[in-house]
Amino acid sequence: MERYGRADGVLIEALGHLWAAFSPLSGETTLLNDESAAILEVLESGGSDTSGICAALAEDSGLDAKQFVAAVAGGWPRLLEAGLVYRLSDVAAAW
Amino acid sequence: MTGGIAARDVPALFQIDPKRLNRMLMTTGLWLDIGAATIRVHSDSSVFGAQLQAVYGSFPAIEHASWADVHVRIQPSKGFRRWLKPQALFHCDGLQTFDPFPAASPLPLFEWGCNWAIGRRLNDRLLLHAGAVERDGLALVLPAMPGSGKSTLTAALSQHGWRLLSDEFGAYDPVAGLFQAVLKPIALKNESIAVIRRFAPGAVIGPEFPKTRKGTVAHVAPTSDAVKRRHEPARPGAIILPRWQAGAVARLEPLPQSTVFPALAFNAFNYGLLGADGFRSAVRLVRECLAWQLVYGELKDALSVIESVWPRVLEHRSGRPQ
Repeated sequence: MERYGRADGVLIEALGHLWAAFSPLSGETTLLNDESAAILEVLESGGSDTSGICAALAEDSGLDAKQFVAAVAGGWPRLLEAGLVYRLSDVAAAW
Repeated sequence: MTGGIAARDVPALFQIDPKRLNRMLMTTGLWLDIGAATIRVHSDSSVFGAQLQAVYGSFPAIEHASWADVHVRIQPSKGFRRWLKPQALFHCDGLQTFDPFPAASPLPLFEWGCNWAIGRRLNDRLLLHAGAVERDGLALVLPAMPGSGKSTLTAALSQHGWRLLSDEFGAYDPVAGLFQAVLKPIALKNESIAVIRRFAPGAVIGPEFPKTRKGTVAHVAPTSDAVKRRHEPARPGAIILPRWQAGAVARLEPLPQSTVFPALAFNAFNYGLLGADGFRSAVRLVRECLAWQLVYGELKDALSVIESVWPRVLEHRSGRPQ
């Protein structure tokens, strides 16, 4: 399963029911929903994959991890495009 | 950037002889201290001086200063062209950055050119694309959304007890946490000119320029009080997204932060350039300011509803009831 890391220097701020996130990597600002913001929060403590993120969210919320799979798996493309996360495999390949 | 040029004993532009102004424009240049920036302008145009006096009349006629953020020159076209279809050219730092205008219309060319240059120069501030006025030390920011009627509303406010900071730039200094004036005449287009003439008969409005790329344009001069106080900053107070709608009853609807943030940030001249500083500034503004959507059909009603919520803004920003 693909593993992801959070880009260095990402800023994330709550704006009511959405979140604004700035990536120094892309220079872009993106508005995020709670699920995507939660992914970034979990990644702050280290790289992870969909199942790891879901497990962390389940532990935090007391809900079943399966409930988060679709939202987390669907969140990666947007986070990648915004420069907020990167694939750890890309970094390994670069080395 | 300028900390303000001492203008004591310097006559206002309207007070000086037009011939002297033209000579100044042709030789030393005129320094226009507009608050957060200073523009040095040269011109060989025979009509430009009078047009400047009409809308910058209360500004000091400064002949010598140590610094200008923007250096511009308005000059007539040369060669055979000047006999067939005379034009005015705009040069910024020696480069011609815009297509020429008719020779009789140097003022709109100067205004658009200077706005373009300022939008690229003052990058130690977040330059929101917005009208901004001040009252009670607090800034009311009116972001420019398409069809918003931002300039008309800003002009109306500036003639009814609100101090104009800028019609084009909400210039936010992220270090001081304050808005600064970028004080220039307010450009009105087409029907808005007559609307403001009716609404504020005392407003000083310069000549009308028909057939520009935006239609007929005229400029409202900042009041002498706004000019005198152009170095007084304002704390962030409120953000109002105006939307003019024919026949609408004026109303204010509170806006969520998630709507206000993109209206400020993604509409700013230099948000992308400022990177993380721009992000932090926009977030701070959204959190500090109360924000509404204003829908209005009549200016007087728009001003009334704004006045009606202003005590709440004061209360919010002072932390104590009024």
